[in-house]
Amino acid sequence: MRLITHNMLSSNIKGVTNGFPLRIEAEKVVEKEVDFNPDFLRNMFSKIEWKALTDASKALGYAELPEETEPSMLESELFLRKLHHALLELHLEEGALVCPETGRKFPVNKGIPNMLLHEDEV
Amino acid sequence: MDLLTLFCTATASILAFGLYWFVCILGSAEQKGKAATQLSGGSIAREKVQDKFKQYWTFFRRPKEIETAEKVPAFVDTFYNLVTDIYEWGWGQSFHFSPSIPGKSHRDATRLHEEMAVGLLNVGPGKRILDAGCGVGGPMRAIASHSGANVVGITINEYQVKRARMHNKKAGLDKLCEVVCGNFLQMPFEDDSFDGAYSIEATCHAPKLEDVYSEIYRVLKPGSLYVSYEWVTTEAYNPESPDHVEIIQGIERGDALPGLRSFKNIAETAKKVGFEVISEKDLASPPAQPWWSRLKMGRIAYWRNHIVVTCLAWLGIAPKGVVDVHEMLFVTADYLTRGGETGIFTPMYMILCRKPESKL
Repeated sequence: MRLITHNMLSSNIKGVTNGFPLRIEAEKVVEKEVDFNPDFLRNMFSKIEWKALTDASKALGYAELPEETEPSMLESELFLRKLHHALLELHLEEGALVCPETGRKFPVNKGIPNMLLHEDEV
Repeated sequence: MDLLTLFCTATASILAFGLYWFVCILGSAEQKGKAATQLSGGSIAREKVQDKFKQYWTFFRRPKEIETAEKVPAFVDTFYNLVTDIYEWGWGQSFHFSPSIPGKSHRDATRLHEEMAVGLLNVGPGKRILDAGCGVGGPMRAIASHSGANVVGITINEYQVKRARMHNKKAGLDKLCEVVCGNFLQMPFEDDSFDGAYSIEATCHAPKLEDVYSEIYRVLKPGSLYVSYEWVTTEAYNPESPDHVEIIQGIERGDALPGLRSFKNIAETAKKVGFEVISEKDLASPPAQPWWSRLKMGRIAYWRNHIVVTCLAWLGIAPKGVVDVHEMLFVTADYLTRGGETGIFTPMYMILCRKPESKL
């Protein structure tokens, strides 16, 4: 699971009012190279929850993203390369996504986050 | 080498090649797609496939009378574990029907049908759209590559997620496409997070259409569009006719459907959850060519595949139970064909809706 996906997942357990973002417990992280496409990154940038991304990125062992951003950074290749790496090249292969309110763990196995709820969580 | 040996070697080679061609090449819907020798029960362990099939078949005996609606998702999951490999092998990566187009291959007709869905949504690069019930991602890949939009798919079946991701990677589309394992009745996405959504022949698995429509409504941004291709009974369907009822029940049972809805219910449900209905149309109505012709032509293919699967199960290569599943699909194909021919059923009732702009 890449962070571009994590950035939109939230805990939907019944009763939870703020299930975003999910905390990451990483057991196995893999890096896979992906072609750099600055336009794609610029398009996606406005949709990203930045703090969730920086926290998640640190959980996967990459702490190079700036804490705050401003629009001029989108012209900087260095920034875009860091964004590219964090968003698209880091994969959580094994681990869990943790609900921030209940602590319930959604497992991630072989890169697949399983967000199915148990009967009592619905 | 004398003539007799040469002759025997040549015959043996031809027979061996013929057998290979019959088993491995002819059955497949796609070159380099799933092979017959790779058929499995999805995430179900080999020894359990036959049992799981029996449980499934019993549960869906009377689809409209299912009292334990909460059990439906688990059985839909079981269904897709059982059939995904066979669908990929015999049908292709897009688990849905399309109107046939004279002069075009099934693959092209399928792709055009998928592209039309996303054409209606009017999205492009930088937009993020939801595929509710994405299967192994056939439509997702066609749509992402055609529009350049980001597609996030959700499916309840973990095996399908695995297959979808593998296909996405192979197609070089894993940057644009993401797949999550989840239930579209309780989606793990925030409100207002998508620029568009579509579901192709998937919402039929929800016991109550309202439940899936309201989830889709929730996760769409105000002003965005949702298009759905629904499996429904048509105007021509007569619930008093035993033949009609038999056909519809046959379709429900063999496709994990907790009760097919009438075309009349669709717009009504969309409005109930808050959507504005922009248009609705049965895409199977004339001048569209029959979507079921592909099933009919496949009769010979089914028999051939049945022989292949039976041999493979006997040899211990395919799990026992795959034969039962294949036979169920064959019987169901017949009901689907009858549904199409009588005009009482359509798998492509299209509805296009908009989530209203927020009132500020």
